[in-house]
Amino acid sequence: MNSSLERQIASAARSVEEARRIAYRDPSRLGDLVEHINVLAELRQQEGDFRKAESLYREALYRIQDTKAPDKELTVGVYSLLAYLYDRWGKHAEAADFYKKALDLGEQLGVNDSDKVATVKNNLAMIYKNMRDLDRASKYYGEALEEFRRAHGDASPKVASVYNNLGVLYYQNMEVEKALDMHLRALRIREHADAKELEPGDLSQSYINLGAVYKALGEFQKAHECVEKARAISAGQVDGGLPVRRRSAALLLDKTA
Amino acid sequence: MREILSIHVGQCGNQIADSFWRLILKEHGLHESGAVKDSTLVKANTNQEVFFHKVREGKYVPRAVLVDLEPGVIARIESGEMSELFDEGSIIRKLPGAANNWARGYNVEGERVIDQIMNTIDSAVEKTKSLQGFLITHSIGGGSGSGLGSLIIERLRQAYPKKKIFTFSVVPSPLISDAAVEPYNAILSLQKIRENADCAILLDNEALFRIAKTRLQRSPNYMDLNHIVALIMSSVTASLRFPGRLNTDLGEFVTNLVPFPGNHFLTASFAPMRSAQSEAVVRTNFADLARETFSEDNFTAAIDWANGVYLSACALFRGDVKAKEVDENMAAIRKSLNFASYVPTGIKIGLAETAPEGFASSGLALVNHTGIAMVFERLLQQFDIMFDNHAYTHWYEGAGVSRSWMQSARDTVAELAQSYRDAG
Repeated sequence: MNSSLERQIASAARSVEEARRIAYRDPSRLGDLVEHINVLAELRQQEGDFRKAESLYREALYRIQDTKAPDKELTVGVYSLLAYLYDRWGKHAEAADFYKKALDLGEQLGVNDSDKVATVKNNLAMIYKNMRDLDRASKYYGEALEEFRRAHGDASPKVASVYNNLGVLYYQNMEVEKALDMHLRALRIREHADAKELEPGDLSQSYINLGAVYKALGEFQKAHECVEKARAISAGQVDGGLPVRRRSAALLLDKTA
Repeated sequence: MREILSIHVGQCGNQIADSFWRLILKEHGLHESGAVKDSTLVKANTNQEVFFHKVREGKYVPRAVLVDLEPGVIARIESGEMSELFDEGSIIRKLPGAANNWARGYNVEGERVIDQIMNTIDSAVEKTKSLQGFLITHSIGGGSGSGLGSLIIERLRQAYPKKKIFTFSVVPSPLISDAAVEPYNAILSLQKIRENADCAILLDNEALFRIAKTRLQRSPNYMDLNHIVALIMSSVTASLRFPGRLNTDLGEFVTNLVPFPGNHFLTASFAPMRSAQSEAVVRTNFADLARETFSEDNFTAAIDWANGVYLSACALFRGDVKAKEVDENMAAIRKSLNFASYVPTGIKIGLAETAPEGFASSGLALVNHTGIAMVFERLLQQFDIMFDNHAYTHWYEGAGVSRSWMQSARDTVAELAQSYRDAG
């Protein structure tokens, strides 16, 4: 095992122990404990030990709930961290459950950060897609789309990502015409977007997905063109331009704000 | 180093911890604060790190996690002589208590505190080089020790599938009872212990009381009973901690003592049993010591000796004993014991050099006897009377333990009792 990671874990574990001691004496310092726990749990995930990470987040959750007036903002944060953990762990049902809890409580608190809410909804939709619950998946993609549009405008790469995700969903559901529409919308935005805002693989991803859709429609010439374009983009990039699957944990606590 | 992590759960478990750690400190020449008191003793045995984590030169902290849902006993340990001994981070308390209800300890309160407990255990385990296993002390009649204890054992097994789990489980006494629902709590716990532990040493307060009374020749108190338990726990691990000619570790105990999977319920005996307070060093000749170690009325659970056979036995002698004497006497004892016909071998014997404080030599027996079925049968009988009349079951259903769950626990224990009877 990576010895530098091991050292980081040992030192993070010591910080958690110290924070636990302090929080026991002074419950108002619980926020510090949660932060230290988050650091350790992140390292545990890097180590690949999801069980220990889960256990840490759940400790944080119950510690918060056991106080006289549970801090709701902290709770939302821990909910979404847990959801994100389950998501990475492949536990879809648990992930969906905690994403929804985070959304519901976030709504109560009046969290109006569209960006975060939309990211959570997008992640939630992705989980339902993996669970083959297509109705709910398209519902949450739709909501995520609205939120991103409101926050960033129609031509945002984030909006394009949701179009792309919707396209994949329709394709899986054999609704090829709708899939084509979505992928074309995504492509239009991505072609014109500022290169800095795009992920390196985004554009070639759009071409590959379009290629698949054209192939399903029997338009092999167009399909071939798309694949060639994707290949040309990939060849011009250092890392091969493969689409990176990336999701971000939303609603994470931002202590600086 | 083969380290052991001790986990003490509930009121009873922590009372045992109080006696146990006092004894262990003395055995290793350490002060109540964990500082070195007697450096010659420390030098003589280098294996403090089995039970202690060395913080720095001359300062040791027990490898222990103390858990209770009520603060009473732990608070007493913390405010007593050993106030500076334990690492505050390894003490976990939570309110409110489990109210004598296994289901509350396992589900309601347990659910909310188990992650913190496991995190504490995880970081304690990470401080070891090569962990051998866990020692758990708890009672299975109450709420915290039984319910939360069961949950901890279950989670430990999931998280550390290859480590040995030893429990020292105090079972409800046949006659003295603290609570009406003890049989429910005990049966629900026994199911989890059977499924998840490697070895369970059953301790019966009444048997302990009887031993203490006959040996001490005065009316005993709880400290005396806990002291007996502490002596047994110390001896079980003596081979790991002190040099000796025949070493045994937890793995060897399990291999030798458990002939069939699941039949890992043992009873123990410690000799010579003398008052904890007497100042003079107790000396016994080996023949007497061996006889007392295997004397039926010296064991800590109510065993049906007449209707059963020995499946296996281990003996561990500590202190000033000669190998030749051991061989001679143990051969005779082996002949006198009624072993199952299919177990032709002898008694597993271990020798360690250092005797417990106040003894020149001592003996420990760990025995797997089919007569232990009686302990289960008695609990089942009490369980059935209440269960068939739906008495008290609403408390359990209200905390997420259905009647069918209770029924399945009952069946597991009934099957366990039957498997012991069949083995004879």
